[in-house]
Amino acid sequence: MYNNLQTFLLLAALLFAIGLYGVLARRSLIAVLISVELMLNAASINFMAFNRFLIPEPAVGQIITLFIMAVAAAEAAIALSIIIAVYRKLKSINVEHVNELRG
Amino acid sequence: MAMQFSDTTFLACLVTSILPILSFGLIMIFTRENPKLSLAISLTASTIPLILAWGLLYKYWGIQEPLVYNLRWLYSDIVKIPFGFLLDPTSLLMLTIVATVSWLVQVYSIGYMGGDPGFGRFYAFLSLFAFSMLTLSISSGLLQLYICWELVGLASYLLIGFWYEKFSASEAGKKAFVVTRFGDVGFFMGLAFLTIYYGNLEIQQVNSAAVAQAMPAWLITTAALLIFCGVMGKSAQFPIHVWLPDAMEGPTPVSALLHSATMVAAGVYLIARIYPFFSASPEAMTVALAIGTITLLLSSTIGMVASDIKQVWAYSTVSQLGFMIMGLAAGSFFAGYYHLTTHAAFKALLFLCSGVFIHHFGTNDFFIMAANGARKLKIPMVTITIAALALAGIFPLAGFFSKEGILGALAHLDNKIWLFAGLFGAFLTAYYSFRVIFVMLFPREPIFQIAAAHSHAEEAHGSHGHGHGHEHEEEHGVPWVMNLPLLILAFFTLTLGFLQGALEQFLTGHAGHHEISIPLLVSAVGAALAGIGLAWLDWGAKNAKCVGFLSRVPALENFFIQKWYMDHFWRWFLNTFIYGLFSKWFTYNDRRVVDGGVDAVAFSTVGSGRYLSRYQTALLQVNLLFMVLVMAGVGLYLVMGR
Repeated sequence: MYNNLQTFLLLAALLFAIGLYGVLARRSLIAVLISVELMLNAASINFMAFNRFLIPEPAVGQIITLFIMAVAAAEAAIALSIIIAVYRKLKSINVEHVNELRG
Repeated sequence: MAMQFSDTTFLACLVTSILPILSFGLIMIFTRENPKLSLAISLTASTIPLILAWGLLYKYWGIQEPLVYNLRWLYSDIVKIPFGFLLDPTSLLMLTIVATVSWLVQVYSIGYMGGDPGFGRFYAFLSLFAFSMLTLSISSGLLQLYICWELVGLASYLLIGFWYEKFSASEAGKKAFVVTRFGDVGFFMGLAFLTIYYGNLEIQQVNSAAVAQAMPAWLITTAALLIFCGVMGKSAQFPIHVWLPDAMEGPTPVSALLHSATMVAAGVYLIARIYPFFSASPEAMTVALAIGTITLLLSSTIGMVASDIKQVWAYSTVSQLGFMIMGLAAGSFFAGYYHLTTHAAFKALLFLCSGVFIHHFGTNDFFIMAANGARKLKIPMVTITIAALALAGIFPLAGFFSKEGILGALAHLDNKIWLFAGLFGAFLTAYYSFRVIFVMLFPREPIFQIAAAHSHAEEAHGSHGHGHGHEHEEEHGVPWVMNLPLLILAFFTLTLGFLQGALEQFLTGHAGHHEISIPLLVSAVGAALAGIGLAWLDWGAKNAKCVGFLSRVPALENFFIQKWYMDHFWRWFLNTFIYGLFSKWFTYNDRRVVDGGVDAVAFSTVGSGRYLSRYQTALLQVNLLFMVLVMAGVGLYLVMGR
């Protein structure tokens, strides 16, 4: 009975909101990164849901989701290395300490 | 184009114009420090064009239809600008003149410039000049002609200032460049007029009758007068003739090649080149006639009082150029162009002879030369006398025939004042040229006093010779490389006169009908003989006082010595108008408007950056929050707003 489009869209919206909250509210860079991943997954779920319920061609949404996974992996690698570099320089991964370019 | 590479004529033109510029590049880049190699390259690159030019003249003697090789450079419905070669009698003759004089001068310079530290550089510049002048003479389009025109200007600047260590030489180079540029601006504007209103810069099209239909008369006059500005600059016509006498600061072979025989004749050549176009505007022709006449009289009078031998010939060149323009403007294409041809021979000869004397005596003052025994140099003395006879217009030398031609053309005009001006000019010409000859040939007692005074003045002035150190004071006698060109040019001076009929047939396509008007002939020869006679009385006769007849009117003489105050006028003009008015206002404009504008932009950028940087809070998440809110707002608007 929950196997319909609305359920999945709600799930995705929930996931996206949680991720957004994490990005905006958490102070640790690692936590921010994890939250971004959550938001990406929310988007993926949307794609899969629309694909499953609205579009007869089965592969399109899956392909895009696979793309998002690949991009997310690359993004995670880069973001983690940036975080390591920030840590080496500032001995901290608190977002609020990264403020050297303040005007 | 591809087909044309199998055409020998096209190849000949191409080689003629390309070889000298290759030589210029080679010498400047690789062999400048090696005089022998530079000389070899440059001589090769001037001998081959010489042979080709004579070959072309021989092959196309009597050509009826012009031969055109056009590279269509910029062609559209409204603009047609070609690059290429145009071979017709006019250009073939000029090509031959240029190639010949330039080769002779290169040979002559072996002797004249020998031992100069800048020997290689000198030949490189001569090659650059040869390239531009040869290409100029066979240009098929006016834009190409204009480009070469500017290149000869550049070569002239480089060669005048060749001894750049000397302040006066570098100044003279700058003056020549700037003054001729002054005229060239007019030339360029004339070309722009032609391009806009006619849209075809092919010389043959400019010369066709279609111009008169495409452009109203006043536009043709404007364009012709603007182009004539360029002619005035290059051919040193009043009032912008002031650069040419100063240009004598360059080495004498340069004066012979550029500043008498070929480059300054480029202006006259341009009129001849687009003669039908000029003829379409009677007003422009009248202006040209008036300017030529003023130039003729003004510079002959200055030539009467100069004591520097090159100055005399320089003013003589200016006056003869004026004479050619008078001939062309009087409606006789052939007379003007023929005088250009003969003038190239005898004026180059005059300069090269003077070069021998200057080289030998280490001074430019012909009184000092005379006192030191100029008459002992046999070949130069004989050839300079021949050239002076030709310049004065004595039968049977070249100058006689060409001057007759111009005077004949002037006699056909309704207003006889032009004819009298021409005759008076001929009289003055004979006087000043034979003043030099008699002083050098028969140095009387007063000459030695004048020479002594002049050499004292020179020593006090610290100028010894013209930049040319004469370290080999002892080793005398003139090298054959310097004598040979003199003899060849003397040969041309003697024979060119008899080719008048053939040349006229060639250039105009029909033999001229010469009704020889006896009164005109008598008055022309009379004027020349009167000039020579007066010069004899003043300078040559046994008990001559050796002062010009002008000294009876000191005010007039001083006026001439001061060169009609033209240099003073331009200095005043520059100070008052250019520096005092334009420069001042342009400087003000530059400081306040241009600089101020740039400063305003810079300051406002800095200020706004400083202000806006406050929003760079480095609070990453606050920024993100704003971003999300804005995105959400935009999204809401897109979904529901409409």
